[in-house]
Amino acid sequence: MAIEIPNRLEDLPVEELRWVGRHVRRREDPSLLTGRTEFIDDVVLPGMLHCAILRSPFPHARITGIDATQAEAAPGVTAVVTGADAQLWCNPARTAPEGWGTLCLATDKVRYVGEPVAAVAASSRYLAEDALELIEVDYEPLDPVVDPFAAMDPESPLVIEDKGTNVMLQRVFTWGEVDRALAEAAQVFTESFRWNRLGANPTETFGAVCAWDPLTLDLTVHGSIQSPSSFGLGRAADLGIPSNKVNVKSHPHGGSFGGKGGARGATIACLLSRKADGKPVKWIEDRTEYLTAGGSQAWDRHYEASLAVDEDARVTALAVTLVDDLGATGEGFGAISAAKPLAAFTGPYTIPVARYDLTLVATNKVPASPYRGMGPPPHFFVLEQMMDIAARGLAIDPAEFRRRNFIPPDQFPYTIPSGNEYDSGSYEEVLDSALDLAGYEELRKLQAEARTEGRIVGVGVASAIEPGVFDWNAYAIVGMPQTGVPEGATVSVDITGMITVRVGFALEGQGQYTLVSQLVADYFAVEMDAVRVVQLDTQSAPPSFGPGGSRLGVAISGAVLGACRRLAEKLAAVAAGLLRAEPDEIELRDGRFRVKGRPGSEMGVAQLAGTMLARSDLLPPDIDPRPEATHVWTAPGRTAADEEGRAKSYLTAAQAVHVVMVEIDPDTGFVEIVKYALADDCGTRLNPVVVEGQTEGSVAQGIGAALFEEYVYDDRAQPLTTTFMDYLTPTVNDVPALDKAVVVTPSPFTPLGAKGCGEGAIHTTPAAVMCAVNDALAPLGVMAREVPASPHRVWELLRRSEGPS
Amino acid sequence: MSKAQIHVTVNGTVYEAAVEPRLTLADFLRGDLNLTGTHVGCEHGVCGACTVLVDGRAVRSCLMLAVQADGREIATVESLAASDGRLHPIQEAFAEEHGLQCGFCTPGFLLAVHELLDHNPDPTEELIRDVLGGQLCRCTGYQSILRAVHLAAAKVRAVRTADAHA
Repeated sequence: MAIEIPNRLEDLPVEELRWVGRHVRRREDPSLLTGRTEFIDDVVLPGMLHCAILRSPFPHARITGIDATQAEAAPGVTAVVTGADAQLWCNPARTAPEGWGTLCLATDKVRYVGEPVAAVAASSRYLAEDALELIEVDYEPLDPVVDPFAAMDPESPLVIEDKGTNVMLQRVFTWGEVDRALAEAAQVFTESFRWNRLGANPTETFGAVCAWDPLTLDLTVHGSIQSPSSFGLGRAADLGIPSNKVNVKSHPHGGSFGGKGGARGATIACLLSRKADGKPVKWIEDRTEYLTAGGSQAWDRHYEASLAVDEDARVTALAVTLVDDLGATGEGFGAISAAKPLAAFTGPYTIPVARYDLTLVATNKVPASPYRGMGPPPHFFVLEQMMDIAARGLAIDPAEFRRRNFIPPDQFPYTIPSGNEYDSGSYEEVLDSALDLAGYEELRKLQAEARTEGRIVGVGVASAIEPGVFDWNAYAIVGMPQTGVPEGATVSVDITGMITVRVGFALEGQGQYTLVSQLVADYFAVEMDAVRVVQLDTQSAPPSFGPGGSRLGVAISGAVLGACRRLAEKLAAVAAGLLRAEPDEIELRDGRFRVKGRPGSEMGVAQLAGTMLARSDLLPPDIDPRPEATHVWTAPGRTAADEEGRAKSYLTAAQAVHVVMVEIDPDTGFVEIVKYALADDCGTRLNPVVVEGQTEGSVAQGIGAALFEEYVYDDRAQPLTTTFMDYLTPTVNDVPALDKAVVVTPSPFTPLGAKGCGEGAIHTTPAAVMCAVNDALAPLGVMAREVPASPHRVWELLRRSEGPS
Repeated sequence: MSKAQIHVTVNGTVYEAAVEPRLTLADFLRGDLNLTGTHVGCEHGVCGACTVLVDGRAVRSCLMLAVQADGREIATVESLAASDGRLHPIQEAFAEEHGLQCGFCTPGFLLAVHELLDHNPDPTEELIRDVLGGQLCRCTGYQSILRAVHLAAAKVRAVRTADAHA
């Protein structure tokens, strides 16, 4: 049954908010700061064994023999598993698109460097790794599939022979009369781009402790798991057991950003546990494993885009062709990232028609995974470069060109051609805030002066949408047709009036337990310390998906406020009975249940809960005597996708404008960010300091994406970035100081008007930085079409600009 | 594998232990002493999550062997807060400035900053950036950490001034 969730801060039942919307210090910090928080590698269970995984050194090879007998006899070893065990106890992994999965351990052949071939469970990680060296595997190398365009050639070797092709999906989605718009345009601009593989790299890699009883087939998984319920369903499917046999307990984890992955390793640990008579088996992925073959690598993309404009410099059509290299299988669900741009395909603009020509290709690289933003960041990089190319072609200032094409405030809710609905926005106000903050005109003057001195300086202005509160229907085109993602919470009051909230997700860094406490403390007008948040495992927790797709802040607010409302209704019914009034005469205000119009006739939360727990004989009939209520929230009004993938999918659309100034070193090609200002609007900010933290972190990841992060493979599909010396994440010296402005346009559709904001700036930062780089390069007649714009790439462009030497 | 006898002082407690020569200091602290506040992020000396103090100097405990710690004094994140639960000024500063999100890299940052402020309680921004350049954080984007270190320095100076006057 739907219940009313407050949409505005003033709808909460207190005179003055003490916690929600204020800068509240995080409750999770003391434990983290003292090293007390239990991360997965800190878990020790009785009899626990340690897993190490033997991985393929070849990108593509037939396995002609495997001998693990020496390893089985090695000191400390309890169990060894190979592909033969996987064939016995496992199903091929579920995938998107469907049918592109393999077993968790290679059987007939290996399909990427780092693919698991065998695994050992021993009494220590050291002994398990010793035993790996004793496993003999005979390989017959095959030609690797490296380039996605070559992979589409019918003569190409096949990554998965049974499929008969390396093309996982090929479809053209047309939303409106795109050909006509292109034909009738005053000008059409067309360009191609390359976005190289990069990924999440949280400071903690994936880890799990799995115990699979060979008799009952009950499975318990502890892990650093972003979405415990989905992870449980995945293991049940992999291992061929009913989903109610699986219990998942997620532990606080050291970041995730969508790239925690680890499904394969967990399934392997399950097999080892079964072979070790159900003993718990711990698998902790090390960084080299993560970088070589973990759940991190995302967005390996080749783009071509066309933008049509009319005489008034209004964009009339957008056509995007994407060839996305998803690697060897669909098990990482990287395909979702190719689908998600539908939720915001035309960005913040009134582009009326669009086309998406989408090809997903298998190669002998690591299966692609999600990463923060889940696909739109490269899409917006392309769209925003096209906006700048058009502005340059039309000789219009890029900020003004965007202003002219923004969706105006009076047109919300606004349905974009690819089907999603944007809830609200004030795009021009956000643009003006960002331009003011940056001192845009002054930056242009500085740029002009610098150019007269021969320096290579550019200014970028970019805007993007952050779709918030994901729904599966957004990914229907790659085979995820469901609708609805639940998040639940249970709120209970004990006999002393202390409140406990039970949730199903683990701490990950975004301060959600603090948010839960803020909401409950204000709802019942108690101190934050009177509220405790407890995480349950999947067999006990209310339905929960957890963080992902910029959803949890909004979703858990809906769950908690719904549970508070249900609990308040229950307490009001009890108060009515005890105060001899009708339930509808009772109102909750400032933590007191009062009889309207009868001053002094009131009871507090603790008194009511105490009465319920101790004196159920005094309660009105039909009252459940537990002072407790659960609410499961799902986003309202979502629709199933139509044939062309159109759906009301993501509930909110946050928007941002970033202004960046860069200077390029002519000798090295190094891009220095000399100014960074941004304005963003993600609706009501429930804990502003946390929102700000998400923005700052996401800008840093976006800078890494734009300028140096890249998973590099050689031309034989060997990975070259397998340590942090090679895969470069930003350090403190790579991130500039940020100037930030805030615009608040509350969402009309969400709890308290908040919009999804966890993925944040990564939607805009790479686009903005690359706009600045290309603004700097434009007078030299060259364009950076490839991300990251690392020094050697920019240096080569600079050399090219000088002409043949 | 044969074991070596070591004698180490960790957070003020003396330990005698027999360890394999190949055991890293990080694994010794975490596995043998159950001091799991020291986190392992890369095991190749880049990320700095495993930073501990050895004789007062910040060291990557994934690159040091337990046998190399023989005869030395080690301090881990568990040593920072007072026994009554009061946070160390550096920890307080990180909490006040939202200098952590997931908190996995945080123990390493705290100890690196501890070494810095021990030697220089009034560091320049440049020096702070130089020291933090060896610590990776994937969540915060570092801005809040920089604010936290400046605040921590002020707190440490205040404590020292108070101590000097006491």
